[in-house]
Amino acid sequence: MGKSEIYVVGGGAAGMAAAIEAARAGARVTVIDENEQPGGQLFKQIHKFFGSGVHRAGTRGVQIGRDLLKEAEEAGVKTRLNTVAYGIYPGKRLGLICGDHTEELASPVIILATGASENALAFPGWTLPGVMGAGATQTLININRVLPGRRALMVGAGNVGLIVTYQLLQAGADVAAIVEGLPYISGYGVHASKVRRAGVPILTSHTVLRAEGDETVERAVIAQMDEKWQPVADTEEVLEVDTICLAVGLSPLAELAWMAGCRFSYLPALGGWVPVHDENMESNLQGIYVAGDLAGIEEASTAMEEGRLAGLSAAEALGYLSAEVAEARKIEVRERLAALRIGSFGDGRAIAKRELLRARCKK
Amino acid sequence: MRIEDHPILGKTERRKRITLKVDGEAVPALEGEAIAAALIASGRRVFRYTAKRRGPRGVFCALGRCTDCMMIVNGQPNVRTCVTPARDGMVIQTQVGRRGGEATHDLETESS
Amino acid sequence: MKNDDLVICRCEEVTQADIKEVINQGVTTMNEVKRLTRAGMGLCQGKTCGRLVAGILSGETNQPLQELKPSTSRAPTRVLPLGTLSKTTQDDD
Repeated sequence: MGKSEIYVVGGGAAGMAAAIEAARAGARVTVIDENEQPGGQLFKQIHKFFGSGVHRAGTRGVQIGRDLLKEAEEAGVKTRLNTVAYGIYPGKRLGLICGDHTEELASPVIILATGASENALAFPGWTLPGVMGAGATQTLININRVLPGRRALMVGAGNVGLIVTYQLLQAGADVAAIVEGLPYISGYGVHASKVRRAGVPILTSHTVLRAEGDETVERAVIAQMDEKWQPVADTEEVLEVDTICLAVGLSPLAELAWMAGCRFSYLPALGGWVPVHDENMESNLQGIYVAGDLAGIEEASTAMEEGRLAGLSAAEALGYLSAEVAEARKIEVRERLAALRIGSFGDGRAIAKRELLRARCKK
Repeated sequence: MRIEDHPILGKTERRKRITLKVDGEAVPALEGEAIAAALIASGRRVFRYTAKRRGPRGVFCALGRCTDCMMIVNGQPNVRTCVTPARDGMVIQTQVGRRGGEATHDLETESS
Repeated sequence: MKNDDLVICRCEEVTQADIKEVINQGVTTMNEVKRLTRAGMGLCQGKTCGRLVAGILSGETNQPLQELKPSTSRAPTRVLPLGTLSKTTQDDD
């Protein structure tokens, strides 16, 4: 058992899929994850996924997470949990925090699958306890099994806002309303209908003006906005809530990629600054791959496929797969990815992804 | 409020019941759960006060990144309670500023 | 909605007014805002305030967001005690 030749930073959907693919091809792979157990955001997703059978439609994220862990174990993937990658140095050296000491190691291949972080929305009172990310709410109710509060205001009607609203209701909390700044709902219609049927109003062109309370959130003041994003006079409404959930988008968690010297493109459709990559998920730096939300905010299904692509490409680069075998498998994965980037929701991402590839090939 | 029975997640797994001491009071918890979860379940949402404005802070990101949930645990300040497992007998204090305890602690006497 | 007392960097308690002040003094990059106000230097290393600061800088200086690269990422990207950093093992190359 020699040293690992592929280090995957981040054991979420993309990272695990990459590790499994590479390990099955014969490479020695280690997944690094800061948490006690890998799986990333999957274990918070208790709803059933959409898509076709090959995309695990009808399966809950938690089950997909369990399956990935099992497959990784069977493939011989090593994991280093409770371990944080705090830096990348020239020569593909990783700096790791392992408990009470740090470690530096070099790796021929590094696959960065560090995921995303939640965006913030600042308004008076937003630092009061009770204001939190929608993902944070999800973690509390689905992983920690505690209610963050009794009655919430959800800010943002994208998929995360709609899904977490529904999860709050399932867990026994009340949701006073969803406010969305845009004049339309950007999440899937099926999620919006579920939420409406449960009696939660979705107020488009509305925003939260401020949170009020002595030491914690006790009230939220919302208002309608005009086309210039200014509050409309006399539309202020006070909601008696103790929790305000911010579902205002995700951004790639890209510090390591920046530090490594990866080239980036600014693409709002993918969450902002995204590291460029080619069709093999390789960044502009040889031996450094990116996959999942880090390579552009999408979904768990695309994260897994990108992970597979990175894993296959890395295994091929190390000589574990012939060019023919690798290409045949990569074509299958790319077809599945293309199938996931269609329709009114997928088109924007497909265009942005092509832009990323173009940026990678420049110069 | 704990979610004991969930329509999809089912019943909470059995974990050993333990006791934490939070600002001098006994607070029930489950072994290994995030300290923050036990505190929220017991109705506590203010975990620390900031250095400059003495602003109350609690859980914000719940994944160990934002550092708003930090408290003093067994004498050690700046412990992220949302990702630190609870153990029986842990002594937890509301943190004031960068490393002070006691919510009424005076800023001047904090430095030494 | 003007509210310059609004905290933008939660970790260092840097307000919108603080940030606008350094911009008024001629600052045009994310790195400069960070260095002069400490926004992004706190325990979360800018994970929460980064985009907010970019939004303010963009609005005040009319630079589009795609021209405002985030402040430089340097190791360590996470907060750790100095003692931990001093106990390092290195693999043999």
